[in-house]
Amino acid sequence: MISIHNLSKNFGRKQALKTINLEFDKGKVYGIIGENGAGKTTLFRCMASLETYDGQIHSELNPLKNYLGLLLTEPFFFTKITGKEYIQLLCNARKEDISNIDDKNIFDLPLNQYASTYSTGMKKKLALLAILLQENQCFILDEPFNGVDIHSNIIIIDLIHKLKALNKTVIISSHIFSTLSDTCDEIVLLKNGEIVKKVLRKDFDALELEMKAFIIGNKIEKLELK
Amino acid sequence: MSFWKSDQINPSGLPPYIGTSNEIKVKEYFKLQYKIIKRKLSDSSPPIVGYLLALLILLAFVGLSMFLFHKMAFAPYVYVLISVYFTSKLSEIKRNDFLKICFENKPYRKLRILENLIVALPFVIFLIYKQQFYPIIILVVITVLIALLTFKTTYSITIPTPFYKKPFEFTVGFRTTFFMFFMAYGLAVIAAVVDNFNLGMFSLILIFLTILTYYLKPENEYFVWSYSFTPAKFLVEKIKTAFLFSFYLCSPILILLSIFYFENLGVMLLFTLLGYLYLTTLILAKYSAYPNEMSLPQVIILVFCLVFPPPILIVVIPIFASKSVNKLKEFLK
Repeated sequence: MISIHNLSKNFGRKQALKTINLEFDKGKVYGIIGENGAGKTTLFRCMASLETYDGQIHSELNPLKNYLGLLLTEPFFFTKITGKEYIQLLCNARKEDISNIDDKNIFDLPLNQYASTYSTGMKKKLALLAILLQENQCFILDEPFNGVDIHSNIIIIDLIHKLKALNKTVIISSHIFSTLSDTCDEIVLLKNGEIVKKVLRKDFDALELEMKAFIIGNKIEKLELK
Repeated sequence: MSFWKSDQINPSGLPPYIGTSNEIKVKEYFKLQYKIIKRKLSDSSPPIVGYLLALLILLAFVGLSMFLFHKMAFAPYVYVLISVYFTSKLSEIKRNDFLKICFENKPYRKLRILENLIVALPFVIFLIYKQQFYPIIILVVITVLIALLTFKTTYSITIPTPFYKKPFEFTVGFRTTFFMFFMAYGLAVIAAVVDNFNLGMFSLILIFLTILTYYLKPENEYFVWSYSFTPAKFLVEKIKTAFLFSFYLCSPILILLSIFYFENLGVMLLFTLLGYLYLTTLILAKYSAYPNEMSLPQVIILVFCLVFPPPILIVVIPIFASKSVNKLKEFLK
C-alpha cells in the first residue's frame, strides 16, 4: 500500500501540488485525471522520488522507487541503442536476469532496430514492455494510450487487468475517459494541484457526464456552425 | 530560433528569413553562433575561467599536434582524418534538417561549406606550419564535400557490438565512433610492420581517448533513477563495466604489441593502467556534476590531470567520488 499525506510541491512561487492525501492499495487500479498542468505528472515524479516535496509518501515497498515501473509521457531513448538493448539496460538496472526477450515481444516491435527510429507509439510500447519485464510491484503509467494503435490499446487494457490480478498497484493518467473506465477501480480528479473528487467505479458514468457538461458547456454553440 | 528582434517589424510580413537577403541570413547565422560561443565562455563563474579553458584547449591542441607529428610518419594523414571527424559532426541529419527549414538551398550550402572550413581551419593552419601542402588540398576538398552531404543518423543496419550484456555507454559510443577503432587497429598493424613501437602506443592512446568521450555527457535522469543500487554501488558498477569493455577494445592492440615488443610489456601495461585511471576520473567527474554537464572548473581540473603527471589523480579521484555519491543520492536510495 502507498499512502500520501499532505503532499505539496512548489516550483518557485507556483504551487503545483496542494496538500494531496491519497491511498493506493495492492491489486487495485487508479486513474488520475485532470487538465494539462493540473499536476498529474508532478504527482508521479514526487512518488518516484524524482522531485523533492513537502509531506510524506509511505510505502511498504522500501524504497518505493526500486519497485516502481515508471512509464513517462515521452520516454527518452539514446540514439544508437536497439529495442532489445533498451530492455536489457532497464532489466540490468533492477538486477533482473532476462532471457528470451524476443519471446516476450508481445507488441511485435522490431527489437533489433535502433529505438530512436521507432514511431511515437512504438516507443511507448517499448518503454512499457521494459518496465513490465523489470517485474515491478507498482506501476505508474503516464498516458500509456497516447499515440498507440488500437490493437495495442486492447493489449494494454488487458495487461492492466492482468497486473491487477497479480495484486500489483497500477496508477494511470489518461485523457481518454473510456480507457480509464475500462480499467480503474477509482478515479481521482486533479485540478490546479488539488484533489477535487475521488470517484468509485459505480459512479464513473455520472462523472463522465458531469465532466462533459462542465468542460464543453455551451462552447460548441459559440461557434455557430452551419 | 529567430533573428528578428522583438521590437523589429518584419517588412515582408512573412516568417523570419523569408524575404531577407541570402547574404544577411548567412551573416546573421554566424553572428548568432559567435554569440552562443561567447555566452558559453562568459557564463562560467568567474568569466575568466571560460577564457582560461579556451586557452588551455588551444594549448592542448598545439601540444597534441606537435606530439603527433613528432612521433608518427603518417601524422599529416591521421591529422586529416581527425579534422574530418570533427567536421562530420556538423553533418548530423536533424541539425541539417533544421538549417534546411531556415535557409534556402544556396545560402544553406554556402553556410555549411563556411562552417566546415571554420572547423578545419586550425588543422589547415598547423599543416601550413608543417608545410604539408598535399594533405591541405585533400583536407579542404573533403571538408567541402562533407558540407554537401547529410549523414543519416537512422541507419537501417544495426552495427553489432560485443557489449549487449550491459548496453549503454559502450554500445552507443562504439556505434558512433567505430571508425576510430578501424583507424587505431590499422595504426597498430602499421606499427608492427614498420617496427615503430611509439606508433603502437599512440594507437592505444587513441582507443582510450575515444572511450573517454563516452562519458562526457550526462544521461537522461531516468537512466540513473531506474537503478535499484546505492550511489556507491552504481559508481562501482559503472567503473567495472568501463574497465571490462575498455579491455575488450584495447586487447587486440595489447596482444599484437606484446607479440612484437614483448620487452616493452611493462610500458604497455603502464599506459593501460593510466588509461584506466583517467577513465575512472572522468566517470566520477561526470557524476559529480550530475544531472548537469560538467562545469568549467571541473573540466579545467580534468585538463590539468591530463597535462600534468598522474599523481594529481590521487587527490582528484576521492574528491570527485565523494561529490558523485552526494549528487547521486538525489536519484538513488
